[in-house]
Amino acid sequence: MKIAVAGKGGVGKTTVSGTLARALAQSGRRVLAVDADINPMLGISLGLGPEDTESLVAARQALDEGELEHQPSAAGIVETFGADAPDGVRLVVVSRIELAEPG
Amino acid sequence: MWLAVAGKGGAGKSVVAGTLARILARDGARVLALDSDMMPGLALTLGAEEPPLPPLLEAAEQDESGRWRLKRGIGPVRAIARFSTDAPDGVRLLQCGKLTAAGRAPIMGAFHAYYGIIHRLTRAKTLRSWTIVGDLPAGQRQLAFDWAPYAETVVLVVEPTWKSALTARRAARIARSRNVEILTIASQTRSRDDARLVERLVGEPVVVAVPHDEAVARAEREGAALIDRAPRSPAVRAIERLADELRARSLGPG
Repeated sequence: MKIAVAGKGGVGKTTVSGTLARALAQSGRRVLAVDADINPMLGISLGLGPEDTESLVAARQALDEGELEHQPSAAGIVETFGADAPDGVRLVVVSRIELAEPG
Repeated sequence: MWLAVAGKGGAGKSVVAGTLARILARDGARVLALDSDMMPGLALTLGAEEPPLPPLLEAAEQDESGRWRLKRGIGPVRAIARFSTDAPDGVRLLQCGKLTAAGRAPIMGAFHAYYGIIHRLTRAKTLRSWTIVGDLPAGQRQLAFDWAPYAETVVLVVEPTWKSALTARRAARIARSRNVEILTIASQTRSRDDARLVERLVGEPVVVAVPHDEAVARAEREGAALIDRAPRSPAVRAIERLADELRARSLGPG
């Protein structure tokens, strides 16, 4: 089962995604939660708390900064840059924008 | 007074931007309202007719290598005169373009034309006396990629939630790195404590609290502008206080 959750800002995408991921994990599935928002908040809805969510490593930035010597597989990215969330959910943040970039 | 309104999705950016633009225009300012969301919503909160699809396409041309740019010879003043549309109280609305059923390609020209226009606004002497209110899409992406170069002030709209506050912090960091003034407002507050919570979570002083207001929900449900549907509602009153604060600042020292 591979699901993408979409909608307008503020409708509850992240809350639905996080709660759905936890519920599926509680029913025994192995769940990978992918936060593809460059303003990543899924950690909060998964129950990681705001501080831990703020400190999650984003895969894209980590790769750009040369954290890995070789081009990793998708599984390698999940393994290396993912974080454990409650109920065994594995969370990967794809990318984040923190500072101003040239126009 | 040139501002951009930013914040998390659903915080109330478009309601604040649209209502504020109308209030400032009623008070005599010439107001340009900018909507740089490819799924635009500002026309609704301004109480304007939805502009045709996408007007700025005519302002775009492709260079020799096929890259889109603002047509040579179209300056910001002409672009605004030709491609902005009417909103009530004399507000002019300019949209960057919108996603259509035809997909991505038709609007790329419009985006590049819009980007060209907003980067030339400061050069136009006749616009200096105008007020600009920009409504940015959710999150901090456009601030990071310089889609609000006109903004002297970024108005951060923040609900009393962690997600909204973290978005505001990220947006504030970017605004500060661009030397843009930050003005934080709490939105959808249900008590005085909520405004204090926003201050604590964001780490910025809250200038105005726009209370949770059923009138906003009713207007949104009907697709009507809040300022037309409920002109005396607590939310409109709060945005009037925001307008007062902005006017006081733009007249003040510095």
